[in-house]
Amino acid sequence: MNIELSDITRRFGRNVAVDGVSLDVGAGVLGLLGPNGAGKTSLLRMLATILPPSSGQLTLLGRDPRQPADRREIRRRLGYLPQNLGYYPSFTVVEFVEYFALLKEMPPHLVPKAVAAAVEKVDLGPRAKAKLRTLSGGMLRRVGIAQAIVNEPELLLFDEPTAGLDPEQRVAFRTLIRDLGQTATVVVSTHLVEDVGAACSEVALMSNGKVVFRGTPEELTARGEAGQGVGDAPLERGYSAILSAARSAS
Amino acid sequence: MTAPEDVDLDRVWTNVAAEVWRRRPGRLERAAAMVLKSPGLARALLTTPSLLLPWLIGSTLILAIGALAQVGANQPLVGLIAPAVAGVGIAYAYGPGVDPAWELACSCAVSDRLVLLTRAVAVFAVNAMLGLAASAATLDTRAETGTAQLTFGWLLPMTAVCALTLAVSVAFRSAVVGAGAGVAAWLIVVLARGTFNGVPGTPDTGAHLAAAITDPNLYLPYLAVAACCAAVVYYATRPQRGSQ
Repeated sequence: MNIELSDITRRFGRNVAVDGVSLDVGAGVLGLLGPNGAGKTSLLRMLATILPPSSGQLTLLGRDPRQPADRREIRRRLGYLPQNLGYYPSFTVVEFVEYFALLKEMPPHLVPKAVAAAVEKVDLGPRAKAKLRTLSGGMLRRVGIAQAIVNEPELLLFDEPTAGLDPEQRVAFRTLIRDLGQTATVVVSTHLVEDVGAACSEVALMSNGKVVFRGTPEELTARGEAGQGVGDAPLERGYSAILSAARSAS
Repeated sequence: MTAPEDVDLDRVWTNVAAEVWRRRPGRLERAAAMVLKSPGLARALLTTPSLLLPWLIGSTLILAIGALAQVGANQPLVGLIAPAVAGVGIAYAYGPGVDPAWELACSCAVSDRLVLLTRAVAVFAVNAMLGLAASAATLDTRAETGTAQLTFGWLLPMTAVCALTLAVSVAFRSAVVGAGAGVAAWLIVVLARGTFNGVPGTPDTGAHLAAAITDPNLYLPYLAVAACCAAVVYYATRPQRGSQ
């Protein structure tokens, strides 16, 4: 298992953002669904080793991120795309991706080829030398994806990766994460249930800091058909049925 | 003409693109990578907001004006402004709110604490060199004593101010708050010492302000402040385990 969470909790003052989450995740693509404020981003930031849990046991790639040496090794093998990607406007696409390849401590002689491959994978080859300030929102998102995958990570964390992408790019992105999920653990936090249906092998649904559903997209769809969910698509009906049940239970 | 079937054209293109797009690091970056033994840390150092050209030009201009202007015969203006300029620079070397890619950098293997330390040391060194150059330019060869004290005396207060701005920046996660605290503390010290030692606006004002910078009685308090602030920075940048 690349991700092992045992009763993980994260508090911000009195607010409990993540409340006793336990998850084991191996290779494949896990879609993390949930409404705003459900705790998806806090959970993802803990998996990215940026935010430590307030309590509970977290093991990533078989290592304990509380230990500095383990944390460093995890970060070498990690790719992360935050919800709000900060960037240096004067950097080119290649410079930005290369910067993070170096910060991930990739061997310098491997960096140029890895950068070229990552930039090509997100279809930004023609804009490789363009300054980031000249790119559109969707292109910047793809730059963010390129820096996340540049080190061929074993653990990939995407927070709202398809925000700002046009339909064609979203389809290409789903294909990309399906490919990556063959060997790596990919966690995709999103609001878009159609992304989950098309690209994820598993779904976890969060509400009020807890995981209230874990299963395959087909199982989520079945919940919608059986329950009282609303929505245009079967997955949306499953999503809303589980959320309604979780809210009435709490 | 077509390529043989066993040739992976994607791979060929990636190799070509890697060569075409390869960025050759400048001399400074290569030297930093050698010294720091980390290309990532060297690159992070060269993206320090307060080491970028506009910032350096601004700091140089302020210190040049400090070298040209005079307050009384002992010319302490460089010594008065150098700690504040360096303190603000140190505060803006810190990441959150200033470095746009800070969150992303925090998920990388090169330690964010090490990046902060390297940036702080580099900004301090650059400002110390600029200040010394400006201070040396103001040396009055006719002055009987105290030229060395005036030239180097402000380095200790500068260390204390820089440590304070860095400590407040990391504790409050804000460069603006850190810079404000450092400059305010320095102003209070200077004004307090100037007021105690003489009447502002009189011909002796320069000498009194010079005493505010170079007073040996303050060396120990400056060092104590710097040490305490270093401890605060160490504590505030530790990997966090509890709730925030």
